[in-house]
Amino acid sequence: MALKELSSLEKFLGLKKHNKYITQGDNKVPVLQSNNGPMVGLLTVSSHLVNEAKRPELLGTSTEHRAMVHQWLEYRVTKVDGCTREEAKTVLKDLNLYLQDKVYLAGNCFTLADALMYYGLHPLVVDLAVHEKEHYVNVTRWFDHLQHYPGLRHHLCPVVVLRNRVYISGHH
Amino acid sequence: MGFGDLRSPAGLALLDGFLADRSYIEGFVASQADVAVFEALAAPPPAQLCHALRWFNHIKSFQKEKGSLPGVKKPLAQYGPAGVADSTKGRPTPPADDDDDDDDDDDLDLFGSDEEESEEVARIKAERLAEYAARKSKKPALIAKSSILLDVKPWDDETDMAKLEECVRTIQLDGLLWGQSKLVPVGYGIRKLQIGCVVEDDKVGTDILEERITAFEDYVQSMDVAAFNKI
Repeated sequence: MALKELSSLEKFLGLKKHNKYITQGDNKVPVLQSNNGPMVGLLTVSSHLVNEAKRPELLGTSTEHRAMVHQWLEYRVTKVDGCTREEAKTVLKDLNLYLQDKVYLAGNCFTLADALMYYGLHPLVVDLAVHEKEHYVNVTRWFDHLQHYPGLRHHLCPVVVLRNRVYISGHH
Repeated sequence: MGFGDLRSPAGLALLDGFLADRSYIEGFVASQADVAVFEALAAPPPAQLCHALRWFNHIKSFQKEKGSLPGVKKPLAQYGPAGVADSTKGRPTPPADDDDDDDDDDDLDLFGSDEEESEEVARIKAERLAEYAARKSKKPALIAKSSILLDVKPWDDETDMAKLEECVRTIQLDGLLWGQSKLVPVGYGIRKLQIGCVVEDDKVGTDILEERITAFEDYVQSMDVAAFNKI
């Protein structure tokens, strides 16, 4: 799973060189062999890729912005990966609340946090029923927005978002 | 199309509903469409229209790049959910004390949010019904038509069939369309003219056609209806 993500990320960033990744441990943590020694972990490797592609703005522009991006990256790795159904509900609820007044996860532009969160949430969102998608209105909107972002959605199937107003619930 | 009057709470509520599952007015990137709607708003939307406020703050952050966003600015009525009456034209400029009114409305709206919800649902249903009715009325009414094949017989074999056909085709009636014709030999060198036409049942009948065709007494001996099919 993580390996597919990393290769999609490479394609998205436009990197010519495709690295070979191996996994380590029970959690299948990706490892990249580099000149300075092995890089372990999804966050480390993806940050490295972003820097290699010379797009540091994807990691955040100001200090606070960078901190926010990093916070969401950590959230993805700790909370979203390998979570149960119950935990998934909490994650979606938190995100829904957070995304109420934001278009992107960190600041006003697309960052690595959005990309990795999208990859991480995809298996969860794919399983959601229509009325659940209506319930987590903000997550659905953000998700639909991201899956149309040019170059982002590679190995993942598009999730159909139905604009069905029948289930409007009191989410104001 | 259009959001109605964006300076009124109803228009803002419509914008809010529209933006509930969209990040931008048109498509998935910020464009001139967003700029157009942004400039039509007099003030930031109130806090309980969370989607409109989110979009507003997001677009505000693009202030410096407003000119370089993709797309072409269209009149405001082009954006937004279909079926909403365009009330952006002909509205007098509101007086400057609108902001105070908005503040008062905010306090009241906090308690009346449920009514707002059902109002919005009812309004969307009404929009859809209006759209459906408009589409139905545009459909052209079904006109009853028939295809008739006429046999026109000349006096003898020396009658000029081309002239005969010409005379028949000069008959112009409202609801009558002449079609193909051919000459069918009957015997003894005599040929009859078989000509088809499409008529609207209400306007033209076979008796009128017979009258008009047999009026060409020089050429036409008689006329018959060979086939009559309803379309």
